[in-house]
Amino acid sequence: MARIGVFICHCGTNIAGTVDINGVVEAAKQMPMVVHAAENKYNCSEPGQALIRDAIVEHRLNRVVIAACSPRMHENTFRKTVAAAGLNPYLLEIANLREHCSWVHGDGKEAATIKAMELIRMAVAKVARHEQLFPKQVPLTKRALIIGGGISGIQAALDIANAGHKVVLVEREPTIGGRMAQLDKTFPTLDCSSCILTPKMVEVAQHPNITLLTSAEVKEVKGFVGNFEVSILQKTRKVDHTKCTGCGICWQKCPEKAPSEFDVGMGKRTSIYIPFPQAVPPKPVIDTSSCRYYKYLRFMEEKKEGKPPPQCRVCEKLCPVNAIDWEQKDEILTEKFGAIIVATGYKPFDPTIYSELGFGRHPDVITGLQLERMMSASGPASGEVTRPSTGEHPKDVVFLTCVGSRDEQRGRTYCSKVCCMYIAKHAIMLKEHDPEVQCYVFYMDVRTVSKDYEEFYKRAQESGTIYIRGKVSQIRQEDGKLIVRGEDTLLGEMVEIPADMVVLAIGMEHNPGAVELAQALKVSYDVNELFIEAHPKLRPVETMSDGVFVAGACVGPRDIPESVASGGAAAAKVAVLFSQDFLTTDPMVAVIDQMKCGGCLLCTKVCPFKAIDTQVLRDGRTVAVVNESLCKGCGLCVAACRFGAPNLRGFTQQQLLAEVTSLWQ
Amino acid sequence: MSAAMDQTAQIRQKARELLENKVVDCVIGYERATDGVNARPLFVYEPEEADRLIFDQTCTHNLTRYLLNRKGKPTAIVVKPCDSRAINLLLNESQLQREKIHIIGVVCPGVVERQWRQASAKLLNACQVCQQHVPVIYDVLVGELPSEPTVAEHYPDVVEMEAKSAEERQVFWKEQFSRCIRCYACRQACPGCYCPECFAERLDPLWVGIRIAPGENEVWNTIRAFHLAGRCIGCYQCEQVCPVDIPLSLLNRKLEKEVLGLFNFQAGMDAETSPPFSTFKKEEKLGIGE
Amino acid sequence: MAVDFEPRIVGFLCNWCSYAGADMAGTARICYPSNIRIIRVPCSARIDPLLVVKAFQLGADGVLVAGCHPGDCHYTEGNYYSRRRFAMLHPFLEYLGIERERFWLQWVSASEGKKFSQVVSTFTDGLIKLGPRKAVTVQ
Repeated sequence: MARIGVFICHCGTNIAGTVDINGVVEAAKQMPMVVHAAENKYNCSEPGQALIRDAIVEHRLNRVVIAACSPRMHENTFRKTVAAAGLNPYLLEIANLREHCSWVHGDGKEAATIKAMELIRMAVAKVARHEQLFPKQVPLTKRALIIGGGISGIQAALDIANAGHKVVLVEREPTIGGRMAQLDKTFPTLDCSSCILTPKMVEVAQHPNITLLTSAEVKEVKGFVGNFEVSILQKTRKVDHTKCTGCGICWQKCPEKAPSEFDVGMGKRTSIYIPFPQAVPPKPVIDTSSCRYYKYLRFMEEKKEGKPPPQCRVCEKLCPVNAIDWEQKDEILTEKFGAIIVATGYKPFDPTIYSELGFGRHPDVITGLQLERMMSASGPASGEVTRPSTGEHPKDVVFLTCVGSRDEQRGRTYCSKVCCMYIAKHAIMLKEHDPEVQCYVFYMDVRTVSKDYEEFYKRAQESGTIYIRGKVSQIRQEDGKLIVRGEDTLLGEMVEIPADMVVLAIGMEHNPGAVELAQALKVSYDVNELFIEAHPKLRPVETMSDGVFVAGACVGPRDIPESVASGGAAAAKVAVLFSQDFLTTDPMVAVIDQMKCGGCLLCTKVCPFKAIDTQVLRDGRTVAVVNESLCKGCGLCVAACRFGAPNLRGFTQQQLLAEVTSLWQ
Repeated sequence: MSAAMDQTAQIRQKARELLENKVVDCVIGYERATDGVNARPLFVYEPEEADRLIFDQTCTHNLTRYLLNRKGKPTAIVVKPCDSRAINLLLNESQLQREKIHIIGVVCPGVVERQWRQASAKLLNACQVCQQHVPVIYDVLVGELPSEPTVAEHYPDVVEMEAKSAEERQVFWKEQFSRCIRCYACRQACPGCYCPECFAERLDPLWVGIRIAPGENEVWNTIRAFHLAGRCIGCYQCEQVCPVDIPLSLLNRKLEKEVLGLFNFQAGMDAETSPPFSTFKKEEKLGIGE
Repeated sequence: MAVDFEPRIVGFLCNWCSYAGADMAGTARICYPSNIRIIRVPCSARIDPLLVVKAFQLGADGVLVAGCHPGDCHYTEGNYYSRRRFAMLHPFLEYLGIERERFWLQWVSASEGKKFSQVVSTFTDGLIKLGPRKAVTVQ
C-alpha cells in the first residue's frame, strides 16, 4: 500500500504569494493514499530537505510528491533527498506549482489555488503507480578506436594512449599524416608542416598503447557505448610488414611509375611505394593496378593475344628479408572497443565542374594543394615553383577564393574556412621565393577569424599582393598567358589580368564513404554529408550515438588548430568515459512484455535509436526486445504499439492514465 | 451460376492436387452450411474431402484470420480480392511466411448478404463500392474477370456523415455505441485484430471499464477502429458479424479515406510498402501543427 | 451559459521543448488562463492516442498535444511520427462528433514561452466560445 507524503513549497512568496498554501495542504491530506502533507518555506534548502527526510522516516512514507518548482529545475535534487532517507530515488514525483501555476496565474488567486490542488492530485495519482527503478551497470571495454589518421586522429590517439588506454588507429591510406602531411608551411606562423607533424606520427608508431592499422577500413559496427564490436577490413599490401624493415631497396629499384596520389598528380611514384619519405609506417605497399607483375598476371588470366609483358618481380628478388607476399589477401579483423572517435577528415573540392576556370584544360590552372606540393622542399619539384606548361618561373600569379565554397548553385553553401588564409600564405611564400612575383587575389570576402590571422592577411597585402573584390567569369589562353577576366565590384568595372599561373583556392568536402560510415555508426549527417555533432555549441565532439565522438574536418571545414583541439577534446571525452569501471544506464527506458508482443516488429522500424532487437522465443514466436543500453527513453514504441507490449519506465501507460483519470475523480 | 460452378470445380481440383502432392497439409476454403443455403469455412486435410469445397456469392467469410492459427504449417487458402489484401497485411506485419502459404485467389463479383436460412440477392454494402475484383496476391487464380462495374464515389456514406454537424455526428455515434454489447465479435472476425491481449480486456491499465456503458463502449469502438488505421483491408467482416448492426465499416472507411488522402496509402495492396505509421517524410504537410 | 463555462483542458507536453516552453512562460510571468492541466511526457511520440481518447471520454473539453518543432526533436524524429499519428486521429475524432477545435497539436520550443501562453489562451478562448461538450456521457 502506498503511503504518500506531499511537501508543498512556498518558494518564499513565489508560490505562497498566489496559492493558498494552507488550503492546498488541507486538500492534499484528503487525497487517496496521502498519509502526510506539509508545507515548507523552501523545499530545496537544506533545512527544507531535512524536514522531508525526517518526515519520510517518521511517517514511513514510501512515495513522495514535491509540489514546488519545475522538475526540470530540481527533480535531481529531490531524488537525492529521498534517496538519503532510504527511499528509491524514483519513488518521487514533482508537481510544478511555480512555473506552471503561481507564476502564470498571478491574476487569479482562487483559480491558481484550485489548479495547484489538481496538479498535486495528478502527481499523487501518478506517484502511487511509481515503481522502484535501478540504474544498470554494464562493464565497458577500455579500448578506443580512432577512425582516420590525420592530425585530428593522431592527436586523439596520443592523448588517449597517454591517459593509459589502449588505442587502435585505423587509416585508409598506407600512411598516417592525412592532409596536413601534404602541406608545405602552415599559417599564420609559417612553420614547416612536416617538421611539426612527423614527430607526432613517429610517436604514434612507437607508442606502446597504440596499434596502428594502415590500409584498413571500418566495415561494420555492432553494439553500443562501452561495448562496440567493429569489423575492420585490412586491405592487402602484398608486403608482409612483420618482415619488412623499410630498407627502401624495393621502391628504389622498382621500374614502374604511376602518378603520386600524395603529390596530387604533380609527381610520380613507383608501383611499390611509400607515399612520402617520412611515411608512418615507413614500409611500402604494392599498387596492384600499376605493378608490372600484376599486369602480367592479368594478361595471362584474360588470355589476351600477343606477347605477355615482363613478369618483373624485381622487388621480390631484391628484398633481403623476403617480405614480398604475392598471396597476401584482404583480411577482416573483429575487435572490441568502448568508444569510437571518427576523424575521417575531408577531401579537397574537385574544381573540374567549374568549367569556366579551365582546370584540367589549362595546365597552368592548379589547385592550392598542388601548389602546396610544388612548394614543398621534399616534394616532386624540390620546392621550386614552375609553370607546368613551360617549366619557367611564374611572374604573375592569380588566386581565386571560394572555389567550391559559398556557392549555392554548386550545392556547397558553406565557407571553407581556410582558403582565405592559405592564399595569404601562398602569396607571402611566392614573394619570398622570388621577389619579382606579383600576386593577385580575386575574393568574395576575406575572413580571418583567429588569433594572428588578420595580421597575417595584412602581411600578405603589405608584401604587394593585390586583392580584387569580385568573381572571375572566364579564364582563357592567349599568347602563352592565361587571361583572367573578372569583375572588380568595388570599382564596378571588368578587369583582365594576364597570368602565368592561376591557383584555385579549393574548399573542403566530405570524404567518399562518409555516409556509409555514418550509417554504420548510427551517427546523423547533413545534406553535405558531413557528420552532425550532438549539439553544435555545448556538445561539439559528441554525437547522438553514445560513445561515438567526432573530431576534425569530418564535421565541417576546420583548420589545423581546430582539428587538433577537437581531437584532444574527443580524447578527453573518451578518457572521462574510461574513468568509470562500469557504465550506469538510465533506468527510465522502455521495456517490452514478451507475452503481449504480437511480433509485428513495427517498433523495430520506428525506434530512432535502433534500440529494439528481435528475439525468437522457445515456443517459436518472434518478439521484440529492448536493448536498454541503446534506448533513450523517448517512448515512441509505447505509443506505436497496438499490442500494448512496450511500456516506458517512469512514464508508464498506467501512470499517464492515472494522471488523466485523477482530473475527473 | 456457371462461372461459380467452374470456380468450385477448379478449387476442388487444385485443393486435391496440393494435398495429394503434400505441398500443403491443409486447405482452408468454404463448404455449404447445414442450412443448405449459406456457406461456412471448411478445413480440408484429406484429398478425398476436397469435393466438399465450394465457391459462390454466399462465401462471405474472410478466411485469412485462420492462417494465424497455422503459423509455420504449409497451408492453402481460398481468398477473395479483399481477403488477399489481408495476406499482404499479415506478411508486412511478419505474421505469415510467404513460402508456407499457397494462395488460391478467386475472381470475385461481390458476395451477397446473409439472412437466416437464405442468402439474399443483395450485394454487401462493401461489395457495392468495391473496385477490386482480382486478388492482389495469389499463387493460382480461379475464375475470369467480370465486366467492370464503375463506382463514381468510393466513400459516399463517409462523405454524407462528414457533412453532418458535429452535434449530429456525436448523437449518431453515441446512439450506435450505446447498443454495443462488447461481444468483441468484430475483433474475432478481423484478420488485423490479433493482439495476444486486447487493450479492451486489460485490467492494468484499465483503458476500457468493465461495465457495458456508453462511454466505455465509445473508447472500445474508437480505438478498435484506430488500431486499424492504415491497416483495414476493407473486408468488413466486423460489420458482418456485429449482432447489433453497428455500422463499423463507416468508421473503418473514414480512416481508409484519410489514409488515402494524407499518405496515398491503401492497406494490403502489397507486402512491402511501409505502412503510414511506420515511416514519415520530413517535409510533409498534414494540415496539423502548422 | 458560456460566460461561466470553465473548460477542462488536458495538455500533453514533451519534456524537452514544450514543457520547457511552459516553464519559460512561468519564468517570464506571462499570464494565461488556468484551465489547462499539464502532463509531462518525454516526447510527443510517447502520447498514445488512447490517452487522448480516454481524456475525451472522461469529459475533457479540449486536449492539447505540444512537442518540439519538426526537426528539433530531442530524439531526432519522434515528432514526425506524432504528426502522422495525430493527423489521423484529429479528423477521426471530428468524425465521431468531437469538434475540430477541441483537439490541438502545436509545436512549441523551449524558448517560446510567449507562444505557449498564446496557444493556451487561444485554445481556451475557442473552447469557451464552443461551450461544453453536448453529449458527454459522464460515468
